[in-house]
Amino acid sequence: MIARKEFAGVIKNAVSGIGLAPDVAMVTFPIDVFLPDSDLTALEGRREELYDKLMRWTPAAAKGDSAPMVSVEGKTYEEALIKANDLFLAKQWGDGLPLWPATRERVDWILRGSPWPRDRVLGKFPPRGTTTTVESCAIALAMAGGRPEYLPVLIAAVEAFLNPAAKADMLQATSASVFPVVVVNGPIARQIKLNSGFGCLGPDPVHPAGASIGRALRQMQQNLGGALPGSGTMAVWGQMRYTNAVFAEDEDGLPEGWQTHAAERHGFARGTNSVSLVFVTGATNIKRRGAGEETAEEDAIQGLHVMAGFMAIPHTHYAGGYDNGTPGVLLMSSVVARSLAQLGWDKQRIREFLWEHSKLPKEQLRKAGAPAWFKLSSSQAVRDSINLERWPITAKPGNIAIVLSGGAHSSHGFWMQAQNYSVIGAKISVPPHFESLAADTKSRPLVNGGS
Amino acid sequence: MVKIEFYDPTGVQKTAAPPAARPSTLEKKRIGFVSNIHWQADRVLSVVKTWLEKDFPNTELLPIDKFPKGSALIDRDETAEMIKQSGVDLVIVGNAA
Repeated sequence: MIARKEFAGVIKNAVSGIGLAPDVAMVTFPIDVFLPDSDLTALEGRREELYDKLMRWTPAAAKGDSAPMVSVEGKTYEEALIKANDLFLAKQWGDGLPLWPATRERVDWILRGSPWPRDRVLGKFPPRGTTTTVESCAIALAMAGGRPEYLPVLIAAVEAFLNPAAKADMLQATSASVFPVVVVNGPIARQIKLNSGFGCLGPDPVHPAGASIGRALRQMQQNLGGALPGSGTMAVWGQMRYTNAVFAEDEDGLPEGWQTHAAERHGFARGTNSVSLVFVTGATNIKRRGAGEETAEEDAIQGLHVMAGFMAIPHTHYAGGYDNGTPGVLLMSSVVARSLAQLGWDKQRIREFLWEHSKLPKEQLRKAGAPAWFKLSSSQAVRDSINLERWPITAKPGNIAIVLSGGAHSSHGFWMQAQNYSVIGAKISVPPHFESLAADTKSRPLVNGGS
Repeated sequence: MVKIEFYDPTGVQKTAAPPAARPSTLEKKRIGFVSNIHWQADRVLSVVKTWLEKDFPNTELLPIDKFPKGSALIDRDETAEMIKQSGVDLVIVGNAA
């Protein structure tokens, strides 16, 4: 393969993920060779090397079963802890911030939250393809400062992540700065104090569950999946991915008759513990409230127009999940939802409005070069959409995800622009003694009114 | 001394199969090309094809557009089957950046 030097890690992860030794015959070059109208004369001097790779290359050996435990020593616990974190950095095992060493004691404690045996295999973590077990989740959660009662949510999030329909193998490696968003529905959110209110995207010391679960998932993306910045993932900016985004839907704030995200998207009855996973590549606040001169009806319509405006961009990644994925996740506060509901709106009507008013003029797409990308799509709907005078950002209104969350405030919405192929739902399984684990969380102080 | 023992979080990768055997020579082989079309793949493959034509004159080189092109189309089982049915000894698969 002729590859950019820094891309080698991505390629090795990819072949490892399909069961080959993590090595590829490559001749590498700087990125200049791969840019439009590039000078290809640099290739000439590497001709013999290319032939050599085609005929005489042998792969490096795969990493075999290694000792699962490592150790550090210090004169004091403090010194040993510093050495452990130095080792994390040297091995590139973490996110750069201090981590808890995943000792046997801590991992065994975390595993109290598992509904299944520790060696249960959940799948292979893409793209590197490392075997992923319940214990792998517990190790990551231990390092991320988690607790046993968080483990069921992490396991479900990992199951969703490993679902082939998510295409995480591609999204882990992409140059777009993608990160997973995990929306939790069901009573477990309140049981583990997962935030659905003010500051639910974090940071939030009152509700630490989301940060720990999301950070653990990030550890697994890197340590098991190989998404190491600049070599295993080409995410150009990376983007605030220390904790991903793990939060709950504000089910108590749903107006009468409105369904939960899990029910609408995945068919999970209200009261079912579940996760919904979607990869996004942007997150932005939308000021939607009027200045005060408008009626309630005008405020509602104007606010929806602002939201539609944020969605209406020639974002070629919209094509990935065009048929059955989502163009993004719109976060709406309970106050805004209630105002809309009082005027006769429900989630579906809102989606239809946003879908209609976020359509882009054909000419705008053309200017952005989007049709050339759409022609390459495997989706017939995407290819057909090139000819529409006004281009819908997704095939149908139902694809737009609306999740009730955030503080009880009327000023803003929040748009998480997606790069995805599917929105993956997974039920959360809990161990029989989960109530007692959750009671430990419940005994800790709850300062504000979030879940 | 205080010792902290903890898990290596990187786990284990199982290797299910070896990579395809390398041909000892490119002479008299039937060689195909598969392009994702990104990152100047078609231009780069054309250069490689020109080299092979010159250095291995007895080698049969299929046209670069013999098989479907583009990331979406080359990722299909149908494309893999088409390549197998073509009787090529090896394929050179694009480039990556």
